[in-house]
This record gives sequence, C-alpha cells and structure tokens, in this order.
Amino acid sequence: MTDMRVDLAGIKLKNPVITASGTFGFGREYAKFYDLSKLGGIVVKGLTLEPREGNKPPRIAETPAGMLNSVGLQNPGVKYFIEKELPFLRRYDVAVIANIAGNTVEEYCEMAELLGSLVDGIELNISCPNVKEGGVAFGTKCDSVHNITKSVKDHCKVPLIVKLSPNVTDIKEIAVAAEEGGADAISLINTLLGMAIDINTRKPVLANTVGGLSGPAVKPVAVRMIWQAAQVVSIPIIGMGGISCFQDAVEFILAGADAVAIGTANFVNPYAPLEILEGIKDYLIKNKFDNINELKGNIKK
Amino acid sequence: MVGVEKAVRSICKVVENKGLTQNIYEIVIECPEIAEVAKPGQFLHIKTNKGLDPLLRRPISISRVYRDKGCMSMIYQAIGRGTKEMSDLRPGEEIDVMGPLGNGFPVFHGKKCAVAGGGMGVAPLLELASSIDSCDAYLGFKSSTFKLADFKSVCNELFVATEDGSAGSKGYVTDIIKGIAKYDIVYTCGPKLMMKKVKELCESNLVQCYVSIEERMGCGIGACLVCACRIKEGDAWHYKKACTDGPVFEAGEVDFND
Repeated sequence: MTDMRVDLAGIKLKNPVITASGTFGFGREYAKFYDLSKLGGIVVKGLTLEPREGNKPPRIAETPAGMLNSVGLQNPGVKYFIEKELPFLRRYDVAVIANIAGNTVEEYCEMAELLGSLVDGIELNISCPNVKEGGVAFGTKCDSVHNITKSVKDHCKVPLIVKLSPNVTDIKEIAVAAEEGGADAISLINTLLGMAIDINTRKPVLANTVGGLSGPAVKPVAVRMIWQAAQVVSIPIIGMGGISCFQDAVEFILAGADAVAIGTANFVNPYAPLEILEGIKDYLIKNKFDNINELKGNIKK
Repeated sequence: MVGVEKAVRSICKVVENKGLTQNIYEIVIECPEIAEVAKPGQFLHIKTNKGLDPLLRRPISISRVYRDKGCMSMIYQAIGRGTKEMSDLRPGEEIDVMGPLGNGFPVFHGKKCAVAGGGMGVAPLLELASSIDSCDAYLGFKSSTFKLADFKSVCNELFVATEDGSAGSKGYVTDIIKGIAKYDIVYTCGPKLMMKKVKELCESNLVQCYVSIEERMGCGIGACLVCACRIKEGDAWHYKKACTDGPVFEAGEVDFND
C-alpha cells in the first residue's frame, strides 16, 4: 500500500490533493458529483469579516489556456460560514481550511479568533489581486508579510498557512518573511495580475479592468516559484497554479510541494481532483515509491 | 452517506449537427440521463475539445428535449473558438456535457402565455412553448430567421419581426407585441435591451413576466461566482448567480441597468 498521507504542519491530510480557494465554493456544488471525503482537504472560498457583494460583472475573461477573474471576494462573511456552511462540510471526513482576507491586520486577527479551532487550518489571503483591501498590499512587501503573519499567528489556534502572491520581484524573500513571521506552511501561487481588452468594443473585458490569471497558462510560473520557495524555507508548501492532470501535480511535488491544490481545473472537469489523485497513486506505484513524501523535491540535478 | 442531490457529467454522442442560417447551428446529442430530467429554460455546460485551449466549458441553453429518444437539441452561434470547434463535430463524435443546469421557466397550465425572443434568445423558448398548452410567439431577428416552422407547430400564433424587414414586419420584437394585456404570463429571452423593454411593457400592463438572462460563466454550477447578476431581494439588491439562482428570474427581480 502506498502511503498517501501528508502532515501539513499538523493538518492531517489523508492524501495530498486539496481544492483551491475560490474554485470550490463551500463544497456543496461538488458534493453533487462525488463524496468530498475522498479529498485530502478543502480550502473554502475567501472569507471576510463582513459579507461582500463582490465586483461588477463581467468578472471573467477566457484567455489562451487560462482565464482571468475579478470576483472581488464575494462571500457571505465569516460568521455565516461558521453557522451555515461549516456544519455541512463537517459531515465529511476531510480537512477544512478557511481562507481569510481583511482590510486591516485587526480584521484578520478577529477572523482567526472567530474561527478558533472550528477549522483544521487557516489560509491567510494576502494576495487577492481583485480588491484594494484584499490583502495584496500586505502580500508584496517582506516586512508587511512578516508583520501580518506574526500578528495573526498570535490569534490562531490552528496551523496558519500564508498564501503568497506571484506578483512580486523575488518570491524567495517573501517566503522567508512568512516563515520568519511564524507561518506553519505556505501556499502558492495565487493568480497573476492580468488584463484583456475586447478589440471590437475597445473596452477592457473585465468590469474591474484587471483580474487574476489562472489555469494551465500559469503552470510553469508556479512550478518555478514553488521550486524557488522550497530552496529557502523548511515549512511545508501547498503548490497550486494551473494543475489540470496528475502529471502536473507530480511536477509540483517534485518542485518541492508537500500537497497540491486544484483550482481552475474544477470548472472544466468536476472530477479533476479525484482523477489527479488516482494518477498520483499510479505514478508512485509505477515508480516504486512507498510514500508520497519521498517524492517531494526529489528532482535530479 | 451524505444526503445531497446528484449532478451529471456525461460524454455524449452527437446525433446531428447542422447549419440553420449563416453561423447559427443546431446540434442534437444523445444523453438519456439528462434528457429524462431536463426542463425548458435549463442549460447544458459543454466542452467541445479535449485539450486545454480553449479551456472553459460553454453554457448553451436546451432548445428541444426528445425524451422518448433520450436526445436534446441546442441552437448555438459559432462565434468564438469553442463554438466554432463545436460546429465541426460530426454525427457519432463525442461531446462532454454537464447538465441539466440552472432553474428553468416555471410552466403554468390553463394560462394565456406568450414567448418573446430575440436572436439566439429564441432557442430556449422553443422547448418552453412546446410545454405550454396555450402560447403565442413573438420572435425578432436581425435578418435571417430560424426555427419558425418549429415555433409555428407548437404555438397558437406566431409573429415575426426582422430589423431589415427581410421577413415578417420591419422592426423589433417589441414593436409587434400586440395587446400584451391579454396574456397572463410573458416569457422573454434575448438581448438585454429587448428584455428590458418587454419587462416594462409587462409591468405597465400588469402581466407576469419571466426573463432568462445571459452572463459569462465559469463553472456553471454555482462555485466560482463569476456569473453575477444584480437581483432584488426584499428591498435590497444582491449579486446572485446566473447559473444556479437563474438563468430564469421573475422580471421584477432583475436590474437591467447594471
């Protein structure tokens, strides 16, 4: 039996396949397709302290092998999540990670307090490119990454994952800042800031003008950044960014990821996470690995 | 273990795929599982290619359901890469389908109904009209028309308008809707401006009106939140999902000015 279990800084995953925040709602939609207990973990839609309406539509533009989105953190607020959505997710045997975004450090801390140990982990969203307050201001400078991580960590009863923005000059120094600030793990990459223009109307396609690029188009950037981050931190890494098949997932783990998150691929194929999980298992068997953890960073020079 | 409803994603067979006029096509696919439960106004989320580009599915409304044959048809315009590839599919080839998705039109019996469609918006109204016992159709097109004979066969009366006057009356569908007050319910689908006008006509004549709206979609099942539309809830407006809260809404709930 191949051991697929991953210990993500204390978050026990039965396998390394997680669903990425913002692509999986609060799980209900995909529960109609399969048993969510088959997943290693679920990172829920980004939560804010108060409900948010999100950005004006259009919020999506299809681009070559990818898509831009500018949802703008539409969500019912952290309290609604705890009362109405979390009990549903808790019916499944799956790690639940809450993604949180705030306007101020205090808001992040308050959300961490409210979530307490009701979830298995908290993912700090300091990299949403679509709202002014969505944290990107916190996520692109080392000292602010360090400070917010340190502050929220003090209020966190569960492992704290810091989600990094790829829209930075040097991902290594940001990863180190998160680790030194007390992050238990990091996840990367969030979407890349992009833009599309309709040449017939000569207007930006997105009402928000710019949005976050995701999908297979961003994959090589993600692999590179995970590899770079893995060279400089010793905390676990959740790798994501354009994974659409098991080969992609294996590539991310080889680059240094402990677990992988599936995002945009959910939109194309609701069964993508399960197919990827089966593919990873077969790969391990074929290549004679007994344990998924042996694969991490296992690239030849 | 957990009591949740099931959703279907299925690889279906193309039965027929033919051009109707210019770049407008009708595809018939075989999918008994979906045809069994599909309702007028619902849509299918289609992936035409196996590759990563174009990446996303295309939401296309169901225009006819042939339950006895386990088939459904969709009318679509080949304008983007996805729909152009779709127009190349031949009978016997496969197509990746999720559905039926969204809330369809509420169907009432024993009421006097009309459908008002513009351009591609006529597609979902065909299955609707065939499900209602008493229905008139008002259809508007830019120039070339399609599916008129099908509407004629399922409706009491059919009225047609084209912008260039090449068929029916010259003008818009809203110009040919006569005596709207005689209807209990009007269903509309088409360009935003047209639906806005139909909604206003219905409001001033105290006629109940349902609209089917179109937004760019991602997942099609309510998870990604990209297909936001402004919908009235009580005294407030909220962004709701065109895919799962809609695509059909009671006209009074929809803000066409957004």
